[in-house]
Amino acid sequence: MAFAIEFFLRRISQGVVIVILVAFVIFTLLRIVPGDPIRIILGPMASAAALEEKATELGLRDPIYVQFGRFMGQVTTGDFGRSFIRGAQGGSAGGSQDAAGYNPESRASVSGLIANALPYSLQLAALGIAFAFLVAIPIGLGAGLRAGKWPDRLGLYVSSLFVSLPNIWVGVVLIFLLSAKTGWLPAIGYQGFAYTIIPAMVLAIELSPVMIRAISVSVAANLGEVYFDVGLVRGLSRRTMVAKHVLRNAAVPLLNLFGAQMIGMLLGGLFVVEYIFSYPGIGMLTINAVFQRDFPIIQAVAILASAALVAINMLVDFASTTIDRRLKF
Amino acid sequence: MTSSTATAAGTTAAPKTKYRGVTARILRRAWGQTEMKVAASIFLALTLLTLFGPYIIDASATKMSVANKFLPPIFMEGGKLPHFLGTDQLGRDLLLRSLIGLRNAFAIGVVSVVGMFILGCAIGIYSGYRGGLTDVILMRLTDVQMSIPVVILAITVLGMSRPSPLTIIAVLILASWPVYARVARGVTLAERQKEYVRAAKILGASDLRIMVRHIAPSILPPIAFVAVLDVARMMIFEAIFGFIGIGIQPPTPTFGTIIASGTQYLLNAWWITIVPGVLLALALGSLNLMGGVLERARNHILQGGE
Repeated sequence: MAFAIEFFLRRISQGVVIVILVAFVIFTLLRIVPGDPIRIILGPMASAAALEEKATELGLRDPIYVQFGRFMGQVTTGDFGRSFIRGAQGGSAGGSQDAAGYNPESRASVSGLIANALPYSLQLAALGIAFAFLVAIPIGLGAGLRAGKWPDRLGLYVSSLFVSLPNIWVGVVLIFLLSAKTGWLPAIGYQGFAYTIIPAMVLAIELSPVMIRAISVSVAANLGEVYFDVGLVRGLSRRTMVAKHVLRNAAVPLLNLFGAQMIGMLLGGLFVVEYIFSYPGIGMLTINAVFQRDFPIIQAVAILASAALVAINMLVDFASTTIDRRLKF
Repeated sequence: MTSSTATAAGTTAAPKTKYRGVTARILRRAWGQTEMKVAASIFLALTLLTLFGPYIIDASATKMSVANKFLPPIFMEGGKLPHFLGTDQLGRDLLLRSLIGLRNAFAIGVVSVVGMFILGCAIGIYSGYRGGLTDVILMRLTDVQMSIPVVILAITVLGMSRPSPLTIIAVLILASWPVYARVARGVTLAERQKEYVRAAKILGASDLRIMVRHIAPSILPPIAFVAVLDVARMMIFEAIFGFIGIGIQPPTPTFGTIIASGTQYLLNAWWITIVPGVLLALALGSLNLMGGVLERARNHILQGGE
């Protein structure tokens, strides 16, 4: 128990610092990269004076550290501000109002927008990971248990093939084959669970090579350990050794992989896949926000994404240190 | 130096001596695999096609031709020369467009990987060599950088500014250097303790000289295959950026924009999307297979295999 408390206190404090720094980087980046949100809010016809007035009102002309301090103050109370563009009633306004007509109160709150989109993304991610496991576990196990034999080669071929297929292309090909040509599955937008299936397949193709490699390397490494031979010498069958010991020990590096590599890949994959399929999740929300210079949404997503990354890494480390106490934190 | 001369002598006489350098043994083992030869041949063929195709094929990648639009590839009914892989919605030759896209993607991939390698190694070596507070700060920095998903960073920067090959490369470098920094730091920590580094120091070599001349060369072998795989990864990113509309801008052909434009004609002219993708997948596949074989060869040799 004391171990757990010490672990979490230490890691949470580190994590908070990292998330704040990430927030600062993104916040600054948004404001130094060219592209003025006021121009988009007020439209091309607005006068320079009106632009300045609005910018000052929204606080975009204050020094960056002042803006950042104000923003972080809000974030600690759970408030990520309001969208520049999207109306509270849905639909996006912008581009045509004059300065007086723009009222932040009528804009959708960022936390609300994210809360609406998040379940869709989680559903897609969960199904994608499930599909990826379905592919990766048999192939990876086979490759690990029979290193140097044909299942090992199969693992190399499948993972080399899958990493070589760009997700944008796989997405379009699957739309063509499974939806446009045959009409088996719906593809674009979201009107029910079936709309998640093709996007999840694309995600799974992107995720499975890393899994296959990790599973096979980790299983093969465990077969080479002394304890495996000792077990065989003591009369345990190979099957028992694999089922009872190798799989459990091989799970630790797999967990680590989940934290370090998979979550980053998953996030990136979600963004692109949602964009291809017009799937109404976080990725779609963010990509639209970027094109509309909707700073509050981008900031919030970046902060939440990095917080999720840090938190998952922490949990993964905790899980692997509890499984294997030899690992230090 | 000694290892490479030893190899040159060793390959002709081929004695199984342990004096042969590790790198040479890895390459030798990798080259012995059929997969490596297949992948290298595909890669070479694509390179030649990319280099000379535009001079041989009598068609244009950018000139529009209404009469020739939506021509299917020549293996289908209605296809005609010189459009081997058909034409797109504006009558432009798809093979040529794909080849130019491949060239651009490959150039961006290689330049950005070289960039992230140099930046990452410089920071990693410095961090590991200095140690102390410098090390702590720089490694926290890699944590921060690694906590921002690549795609979020890229669409933020590229979506807001005007994308050009240079900004694309900069974003890719910015997003991916920490991996190299981590590996370089790890190698440096190990090398720093070794006799030859201490000897160099006693002989009066400056820190900079030790870092550049003595430590840097030992980082390349463990990371070379990562770099090969990363070139392919960066090419995929380039395609994704093009697809979203934040990559190299038209009229320069890129895979992303070709695939994106083809989606509107999927039912009637599927080849606009499918064909360039096959070509890109072939190029990426050969790179990934080479990287994969190299990695396995390395593991094999390091575990004591021959």
